Amino acid sequence: MLYFTLASKAYARNLQYRGAHMVHNIASAMFGFMYACIWIGLGADHALGEYGTQGMVGYIAFTQAALWISSFITNGLGIPQAVRTGHISLDLMRPVHLFSHLMAKEWGQIAYQFIYKSIPIYVVYYFAFSLELPGKASDLLFVALALAGAAYLSICINYLIGASALWTTESSWLYWGNHAMINLLAGFFIPIEWLPGWLQTAAWWSPYPYLLYVPTRLYLGFGNVSYLWGTLFWCVLLTLACLLATGFLRRKVEVQGG
Amino acid sequence: MTAKSWLSLYALLIRTSIKSRMQYKFNFVLASILAALIQISEFLMVAIVLYKFGAIQGWSMHEIGYLFAVMTLSKTLYRTFADEVHHLEKYLVNGELDQLLTRPMPVLLALMPQKFRIMLGEVLQGGFLLWWSLSGMMGSGQVGWSAVPQTLYIILTGAVILFSIGLATATFGFWTTRITELQNLTEDAARTAAQYPLTLYPKWMSSILLILVPVGLVNYVPSLYILRGELGWWVLPALAGAALLCLALSLKFWQFGLTKYQSTGS
Amino acid sequence: MIEVQDIRKSFKTPVVKEGRFSGIRTLFSREYRIKEAVRGISFKVDRGEFVGYIGPNGAGKSTTIKMLSGILHPTSGEVIIGGMNPHRERRAVVKRLGVVFGQRSQLWWDLPVRDSFDILAKMYAVDEADKVRRLEQFTELLDLQAFWETPVRKLSLGQRMRADLAAAMLHDPDVLFLDEPTIGLDVNAKRNIRHFLKLINEKFGKTILLTTHDMDDIEQLCSRVMVINEGRLSYDGTVRSLRDSIGLPTLITVTFRGPFQIPESFMATGDSSTQARIRVTRVLDQSVTIEANRREMNTLEIVKELGKWGELDDIDMQDPDFEDVIHKVY
Repeated sequence: MLYFTLASKAYARNLQYRGAHMVHNIASAMFGFMYACIWIGLGADHALGEYGTQGMVGYIAFTQAALWISSFITNGLGIPQAVRTGHISLDLMRPVHLFSHLMAKEWGQIAYQFIYKSIPIYVVYYFAFSLELPGKASDLLFVALALAGAAYLSICINYLIGASALWTTESSWLYWGNHAMINLLAGFFIPIEWLPGWLQTAAWWSPYPYLLYVPTRLYLGFGNVSYLWGTLFWCVLLTLACLLATGFLRRKVEVQGG
Repeated sequence: MTAKSWLSLYALLIRTSIKSRMQYKFNFVLASILAALIQISEFLMVAIVLYKFGAIQGWSMHEIGYLFAVMTLSKTLYRTFADEVHHLEKYLVNGELDQLLTRPMPVLLALMPQKFRIMLGEVLQGGFLLWWSLSGMMGSGQVGWSAVPQTLYIILTGAVILFSIGLATATFGFWTTRITELQNLTEDAARTAAQYPLTLYPKWMSSILLILVPVGLVNYVPSLYILRGELGWWVLPALAGAALLCLALSLKFWQFGLTKYQSTGS
Repeated sequence: MIEVQDIRKSFKTPVVKEGRFSGIRTLFSREYRIKEAVRGISFKVDRGEFVGYIGPNGAGKSTTIKMLSGILHPTSGEVIIGGMNPHRERRAVVKRLGVVFGQRSQLWWDLPVRDSFDILAKMYAVDEADKVRRLEQFTELLDLQAFWETPVRKLSLGQRMRADLAAAMLHDPDVLFLDEPTIGLDVNAKRNIRHFLKLINEKFGKTILLTTHDMDDIEQLCSRVMVINEGRLSYDGTVRSLRDSIGLPTLITVTFRGPFQIPESFMATGDSSTQARIRVTRVLDQSVTIEANRREMNTLEIVKELGKWGELDDIDMQDPDFEDVIHKVY
């Protein structure tokens, strides 16, 4: 099982940096804590729609934890670095498709982040804010599906960002641009239905809501399972885009020799 | 060397860095557009909340806008001149700092102009927001014209404070090499927190943001005086004192950190 | 010019814990692994010397050079360069130093070579007349003209090295530290660089400390060589006496005309305790290969001895290869 080996190696590689990751977890937990405080402050004077103050705190807690699955993954899946060091031509020569190879590694990374980041962060919030867990097991199953889909979408998006490194040295800006879009359009801090109309429209024409908003809604019990069809649609579309991008990438590397 | 020749050398290094970047026009344009996009989306996050809810804990839309604008402009000032301090990790990891240490000038002065960032998007957006919030508050008679020079002054002291925080954080890299995670905490999280009134947070957290990582001194504390007439005029000179103290402490720490530099390949 | 008093440098790295929750334990643990890269080195280099500094990878060469040039602070010990301490007075010291790292360029990557020189001249406060005069010299010696307007990133390795050397010399330093300046260069480029180094040492009296893995650099340039191994100096002296002190045998191949007889006592038996000062290692038809140490027995004696074995037709002597000498020292 080549793919499993790749994934577990990526997982194990991360174990060395647990010290640094602890600091990162604290930072991440602080971010969420801060956003929750803002909503608590707002909730004191305003009604917060169908969520209520406690609901919004739960919303923030979940998106902050889910960020480590569907947003903070390896910048461009490591392609920009491979391009800089010239490793990319080696990677393309391997008997495995570049996309599936990198994807397998990234799944390991995501598994690590889920266990060492998402879960501890959520546990902290669970106690700090006395959150509730969803009751039904079937709900959790749908949440898991939505999260897996979100992780896959994120891998695809980062693959496309990584591929752009062959055309520009500033692809890390795309990574941060993607982040900014997640903050705004994926409902990271503000639920999508509270965005101005034109932004809502823009959001639903993009894959972003499926990264955070959809899993969170499902988790909080507001969601509709039919959302998952949207996740599936974008997974298929972005997979095709990635395969297409690999073709361009291959040609570009062949022309300029890495 | 005289102060004047230092300054002209510094200016030359900045020109050099701009010239280097202009070698890649497409990249430069792309990076600028994306930076502006990121900035706009950050702004929209705050703007949407204000648009939907109006005031937050007694702070009006204009006041929150002001907090955000001052923070943006102070950060812009800091990052324009000292972006590479924020990116010190890169120099530590590949040992590029070696080169800078062989130059006959203070390391920090050699490091800072390595990459001069033109942050037009941030300036425009911060400037626009500042204009909007100040003119709103002037219209309602909350503040007078004196708020304008006071604001420019606190943007400057704020930049010094942010620079000090950034420098102290980066210095940890001499021991840990990796600093991104710590920066995430002391720079990004702290700065984002101070875009809202600190009263939103529990006591322990606002104390941290005023003393340990004093981002609250960049915009929140001066706003209490400039916008709401609380505290007193002494706030302004006290801020300069605090900024200089932060700067002195972080420079001292930086000097000490440099003696612990391990270089690479060893 | 350079004085080094018992310098040491140890690097600390935190020990990464294994097992469950090791992340947290690593974060709070105070355990470090201490690696001693340099363990007490002292030497003195006089003005105008050309010193080679050699040793296997990881022996502490670069660490020493970095301590000498003020980049790293020694854990203990003292460095004095031109009467000053490079750590307390870094800026004053580096003004009198030229440093070249073969692996890394100090030039501005994206700009034409010319621009780097303009900037460095300003940085080291070299006045215009001196700059022009020196550049004329270097241009002639290093042929900078050919790539004067080319961005540094487009230079070949040899060109880049030439530009880097000229850049290090622009402020007319007294001392040059060169860390592997010939690494990765082809034969021609190496010859150019060596020629230049020899010239600035002999003609301009620059003091040079050179690290390298290329023994030809040492043989052709250095009057003195220091060998560092596992953080300590294991040799400090002339190249010639280094070669002698190791006492590697000279390889001699003799061809006999007609029949010859090798006395039994000279045959190599694997047992080197035999009193024989000549050892026969190979016999092929008419030619015999022997090993002899020329410190124990001079050439004339060897030839005389061989003459007893048969009628000599031809003798070929091969001094020990410097690479091999070094291997022996390491």
